[in-house]
Amino acid sequence: MKILLAIPPRGRAWLLLIGVALLAAGAGRDFLAQRQAEVLRPSTGLSELRRLSEWHAPLAGSRGDTELYRFRGAEPGGRVLVLGGTHPNEPAGFLAAVLLVENLQVSRGEVWVLPRANASAFTATDPQEGTPQRLVLPTADGRPRWFRVGGRATNPLDQWPDPEITVHRPSLQALSGIETRNLNRSYPGRADGSFTEQVAFAIRSLLEREHFDLVVDFHEAAIEYPVVNAIVAHERAGELAAMAVLGLEMNGVDIALEPSPLNLHGLSHRELGDHVPGLRAVLYESANPGQGRLRGRTDAAQILAGRDPCYLAAQSIPGMNKVPVDSTGLPLWLRVGRHLDALRETLLALELVDPDHPVSAAGLPSLEDLRARGLSPWLSPTP
Amino acid sequence: MSLWPLGLMVLLFILLFARLRWPLGLALATAALAGGLLQGVPLTAVEQGGLPIPGSSIWRHLVEGGFVYIDPILIMVTAFFFMKVIEENGLLSALTWWILKGLGSRPALLATVLGLFVAFPGMLTGLSTASVLTTGAIAAPPLLRMGLDRRRAGAFVAMASILGVVAPPVNLPAMIICASVDMPYLGFMLPLLLLSLPLLVVCSLWLAWRPLQSGDPAAALEAVERGPLDRHGPRLLLPLLLIAVLMGGPRLFPAWWASPGMPVVLLAGSLLGLVTGDRVRVGAAAWAALRQALPVMGILVGVGCFIQILTLTGQRGELVLTVLQLPAWAAWLGIAVSLPAFGAVSALGSASVLGVPFLLALLGRPEIWVCAGLSLLAALGDLMPPASLACNFSAQVTGEPDYFRVLRRCLGPALLCALWALAVMAASPWLVQLLQGR
Repeated sequence: MKILLAIPPRGRAWLLLIGVALLAAGAGRDFLAQRQAEVLRPSTGLSELRRLSEWHAPLAGSRGDTELYRFRGAEPGGRVLVLGGTHPNEPAGFLAAVLLVENLQVSRGEVWVLPRANASAFTATDPQEGTPQRLVLPTADGRPRWFRVGGRATNPLDQWPDPEITVHRPSLQALSGIETRNLNRSYPGRADGSFTEQVAFAIRSLLEREHFDLVVDFHEAAIEYPVVNAIVAHERAGELAAMAVLGLEMNGVDIALEPSPLNLHGLSHRELGDHVPGLRAVLYESANPGQGRLRGRTDAAQILAGRDPCYLAAQSIPGMNKVPVDSTGLPLWLRVGRHLDALRETLLALELVDPDHPVSAAGLPSLEDLRARGLSPWLSPTP
Repeated sequence: MSLWPLGLMVLLFILLFARLRWPLGLALATAALAGGLLQGVPLTAVEQGGLPIPGSSIWRHLVEGGFVYIDPILIMVTAFFFMKVIEENGLLSALTWWILKGLGSRPALLATVLGLFVAFPGMLTGLSTASVLTTGAIAAPPLLRMGLDRRRAGAFVAMASILGVVAPPVNLPAMIICASVDMPYLGFMLPLLLLSLPLLVVCSLWLAWRPLQSGDPAAALEAVERGPLDRHGPRLLLPLLLIAVLMGGPRLFPAWWASPGMPVVLLAGSLLGLVTGDRVRVGAAAWAALRQALPVMGILVGVGCFIQILTLTGQRGELVLTVLQLPAWAAWLGIAVSLPAFGAVSALGSASVLGVPFLLALLGRPEIWVCAGLSLLAALGDLMPPASLACNFSAQVTGEPDYFRVLRRCLGPALLCALWALAVMAASPWLVQLLQGR
């Protein structure tokens, strides 16, 4: 301290400036690294690799454009779109889509997977959340692969500044300003709207123009969030979702069925269900200990193992944890497995409620497979 | 786990700021750095499974946290520029003259009308800063001319601005809580009116009525320059009109009028002000605005670093958990203290971090009313040091060098607000029956 004070004020100012510049350079390198996308290795069942911008040309060349994986069965049937990475801070939503891309074999109908629905949001983490930028997972041959954890909302470099109030179109519902960059508050989207609204518009156009029968949106939520470990369904998908829930419960997976709220706009299940004729829209939520307000230290280990001392302690507060928490935690494999089991049951239910548009898929691990062997066997090795 | 690391961080901050006289922002950032390192956040990037993990060092977190307030910082700089422009072009003195001429002899009415006037931008934007630095800057001169001391005038502006945030139609803390629990921001008009309007009137009268009664309106009017009004006529008012239109338009016609954002609104008003009144030295005004804003910018960056490290290390969660674990008899007190106290780092952050679990903990009561009450407590966070945006800026618009003095004047009205919020939340089942027949 004495040495610092001995330096004249102008010298101290220069020292501070140099320090800030070094800090900016180091952090800048980290932020740039976040733009590098993880490599996905599609299964042999892949029929076609397309891009979202094919359904909204202005997205081409922007960070909103992203890969779309199409798996077509030999037999005709229905068409299903799976959205992963709507919120890249919800890792199970992304990883479940990755496992689909890398393992899926479709025999009847088609499954399209958009693993990074909000690709821009993968390029920046949310300030004040302390989110790790990457998770490392061992693959089938034991060698590691990395996957990004991003933010909940579009990178501000792609859409900025936020208004004080977000006005959802067309409902005119008012939301707080930051929701303007939340893809799951921007449906049905607008062709000439904000960056995020354009991504939502592209997804809606894809569903509309390719005549999809079902859209499934993978998410995660905080343990104290009222809608968690649940399937949220648009009313057109009510019967389908009820049957899926029944199937899951029979397999010992505890899950709730939640109707899509009529007066809460911008969400995929509400708006895509309302605006795409004939589409059934559902959303899955799993409980992520790395996301809520009560969480302890935020790091990759917490996300992977799903163990958190604060949520464990919160178990003593009546009604606070909406999902029971114990010392075994809620590991990532469990949350991914819930999504994949829910998808399997939803496809089985689709065959029953809409026999003209069945979709049959194989190659995916079940929750029990993941419990026994973890995620590694289903992640393609790094070449 | 425990809260001792947070305690150490706070102690270090106090040592650096109070004893060693470091700038507040730098003291906060240093305390965050030390706290992070102490709790095992690495200095350099770590490896996992042999792969380097970018962004795992403490430096990324400090920079990321420091950036969180970039939008408020822009609002602040443009608002200071607007203040300088209207000060130099004569609009400020013209408005002071008008206000004193019209209401100077009716102290109760003057206090109430000025309270509502200051609150207005906050009602439209949900930001106390927007109120303090626009209508607050206009209301301060007549209050000072009528004999209010700078601290009291600052407290008047700060409290009215905070209650503007709470008042409908736009209450950002409530909207943030709603968004986090997927609750539509609907049906808030009545609870927010009941929470804000009576307090706005009471706090305005509490802080200003008595001094205004003893003020001399004629002498005050005499001391104000009327010249700009005579020289430029009503066109002097155009910047204010433009700002009102740009702020109000998107709220009135949301279907086809998008908000350009507060910095653009204020900049547009400032640019118009350059040609509607006396000559303004643009460079000097911009420089003065920047110099005035710089210390607060530093505080906001430091606060951002601090809260990022708290979250990263789990201290934020530990803090929330501690309040939620209080015994039932102390829970209400815990809510009333912790929500405003967390505003020391960010009032909107407080709504998000604490407001949401508190709403969930109070499920069973009418949730809209509870959410509205929590939003008032969270909004009070704008008074809390070290950020203390409402007091900090109010001190600047009233010329008070020490914002802590403004804060001290706010304590009584703030306590009343907190009690009112608790009363409304506690009585919400009965209020819903009485006022809404449900």
